Amino acid sequence: MAITLYDFELSGNCYKLRLLMNILGLPFDIVPVDFFPGRQHKADWFLRMNPFGQLPVLKDDGLTLSDSGAILAYLAKTYDTTGQWFPDAPAITAEVLRWHVVADDITASSSAARLALGYGYDFDIPKVQKQAHRIFRLMDEHLWFGEREGRDWLCSPAHPTTADIACFPYVMLSEEGGIGREDYPALRRWTDRVRRIPGFTVMSGIFPAGRALQTA
Amino acid sequence: MTLSLSDPTWYPIASSDDLPFRHVYQGQLLGRELAVWRADDGNVNVWENRCLHRGVRLSIGVNEGGELKCQYHGWRYANRSAGCTYIPAHPADAPARRIQNRTYPVREAYGLIWSAANDDQPFRPFPGAEGHDWFPLRPMPVNAAPEDVLAALSALAPDDQPADLMPGLSLRFGGTYYFVQPVDAGRAVIRGLLATQPDATTLRHYNELLSKLRDRLERAAAKKPAPEPLKPAFEKVSAELSTMPEIAVPRGNTITVVVKRKWTSADGVIGFELAARDGHLPTFQPGAHIDLHLPNGMTRQYSITNGPGDLMSYVIGVKQESASKGGSKVLVETVREGDLLAISEPRNNFPLRRDATRTVLIAGGIGITPLLSMARFLDKSSLNYELHYFTRAGDVAFRSELEALHGKVIFHTGLPRAEIGLTIASALGQWSMAQHVYVCGPSAMLETVRSTAAAQGWPDEAIHFEYFKNDKVIDDSSAFEVELARSAMTLHVPSGKTILEVMRDNGLTVPSSCEQGACGTCLTTVIEGEVDHQDVYLNDSEKRSNSCMMTCVSRAKSPRLVLDI
Ligand SMILES: N[C@@H](CCC(=O)N[C@@H](CS)C(=O)NCC(=O)O)C(=O)O
Repeated sequence: MAITLYDFELSGNCYKLRLLMNILGLPFDIVPVDFFPGRQHKADWFLRMNPFGQLPVLKDDGLTLSDSGAILAYLAKTYDTTGQWFPDAPAITAEVLRWHVVADDITASSSAARLALGYGYDFDIPKVQKQAHRIFRLMDEHLWFGEREGRDWLCSPAHPTTADIACFPYVMLSEEGGIGREDYPALRRWTDRVRRIPGFTVMSGIFPAGRALQTA
Repeated sequence: MTLSLSDPTWYPIASSDDLPFRHVYQGQLLGRELAVWRADDGNVNVWENRCLHRGVRLSIGVNEGGELKCQYHGWRYANRSAGCTYIPAHPADAPARRIQNRTYPVREAYGLIWSAANDDQPFRPFPGAEGHDWFPLRPMPVNAAPEDVLAALSALAPDDQPADLMPGLSLRFGGTYYFVQPVDAGRAVIRGLLATQPDATTLRHYNELLSKLRDRLERAAAKKPAPEPLKPAFEKVSAELSTMPEIAVPRGNTITVVVKRKWTSADGVIGFELAARDGHLPTFQPGAHIDLHLPNGMTRQYSITNGPGDLMSYVIGVKQESASKGGSKVLVETVREGDLLAISEPRNNFPLRRDATRTVLIAGGIGITPLLSMARFLDKSSLNYELHYFTRAGDVAFRSELEALHGKVIFHTGLPRAEIGLTIASALGQWSMAQHVYVCGPSAMLETVRSTAAAQGWPDEAIHFEYFKNDKVIDDSSAFEVELARSAMTLHVPSGKTILEVMRDNGLTVPSSCEQGACGTCLTTVIEGEVDHQDVYLNDSEKRSNSCMMTCVSRAKSPRLVLDI
């Protein structure tokens, strides 16, 4: 059993998988793919693995998987013995999948703004920034009421799920796309909580949060 | 109405709940960005959101409980004062106290955090504030001009019960108070307060009401030209304030403190808590000491035992000497709670590195005082340390303070002399990279630690101690002139006499304490001439700078010295 991640170090979608595998303590190999400026994700050898031409791709023995949300679900269902990261209960599965879709909307807005500002991609910057703000507003509201109701995470269980992992990176990287988070205090507190999950790991632009409580 | 950068009004900038344990909140007021954080002692800090070093936002930094650590190059700033306490690029030096971030006034009241652009106005409760258990609604940021937001809120009031306008962009109707936080010319946050604790339905109701109001305001604002944003000028911090000074700075004025508490901490050790009369005391670093000016005219040095950001009072420990030389005797016998004393600003000759993988702290007797402070700093940052405290039986000072620490604290009480050496040897262990030992105690113990450490492979740079004594033989054979620039006097210093003595013979009052070049009390600025340094107080670069000297032991190499006295 060997996991290989086709990875671009500065990609938030690839980082989601590194993050979960680190939290689960899963060993994995990395094959770096030069997304920028090399555009290797559009090279023939890459398109044979993922015809959609998108990172990340993950191989586990004979399996070849793409889409970070799908891979998060796969990893959790295969390797998370606690069953907490992608819970089986149908209602919770639905909640998690709902947020996986939000995560894709965050990629399409916050990550697009970052690609436009930092990597010269051609996106309508004001439009994608506005979309990101709309999502962040909704998340902030959801999380503010969550705190009142004793819910710390995006979904209802008392622990984080892959929904939190999937939404986290491009929230944290939003400033690289010119999207400030000063209007979303509850969202900012949630990013502290994610950064305090045991096994948390960083990527360029995402810092640790420091300890929550002194360990005795 | 136009917003002004210098508007002195107090506005709410956050809810109390926005500042949970060890969080850094990103605040905004009148075009400025703020880093807002609650220290472990409950105090709320409102600072300009920029690290003095490279302008990086402090709101992405780490709240360490008593200090805020910048994410970028790790500069740390103290709770309350915003003074810089540690610069990782200079791990072995003490930063100057005056490296200080910009702070804003702050009040926590009625479930909200309040701040203002300046100190021009005292904080005043809003009408009807007292006597309620206020509940802050979910804050509602709005991309619209603050005055438009206020007008729209006022239009929410029913016709038969018009809104009651209050000072500072606020109003009330039907028992609900609304405050408009002016973020910028085109941005605001609505902060509502309810006088009673609401249920979940009520909260959702208000959130919906305010969300709709926001959407309407933003649609209207989008049709108008965007107002010109406020442009706060970042006061450029001078190089002198934002970089590590090369040299010691002669002490500034003394500070008057009140003896808030005096107690027996152990047989023969008296604790004194010296409190600021208003506001807080200056920033200090672990290992720092203050000069205490005693009622009988003497000056004595005492280490500060406090932890990070603990600036409302300094706690010192004073040993009751049996053969008292007068200093501690006066303190212990005549100073009482409520008395006023004068102290100097803190100075640090015993800086603590915070980049060690292992820190060993070794204290003997009253030598615990600077090491207690160091342990508290390491403790808050969750850095690895071991504190070994050697005392005679019954002499364990600051026991409860030490027991409150989370690291390894080992008490060695009443050990026979022969065992002390062995215990120190095993406490130190073999040296490896990035390990440091700090020792404070009687000179015999200092010697044991130094020689044992050296024998076990510890290099000089890894062994840290503070000089309380100057063991060098002083060469006082030279004779020279001193010109006292501010006193318009020229004096002759013959061989066999110190500059200090000659100044006193001529009727000048100049402060001094140890009179052997160890304590730093007589530090003086040199304007001209070449100094013959003989003290152990200044470090090599300070000595090389030739810009200051200790008049109690140091002399002149040139025929004439000009001093700033
Ligand atoms: N839904 C996909 C989106 C992945 C995605 O957008 N990947 C980026 C890199 S971070 C990419 O490869 N973009 C190139 C493209 O879409 O052509 C996922 O979550 O994996």
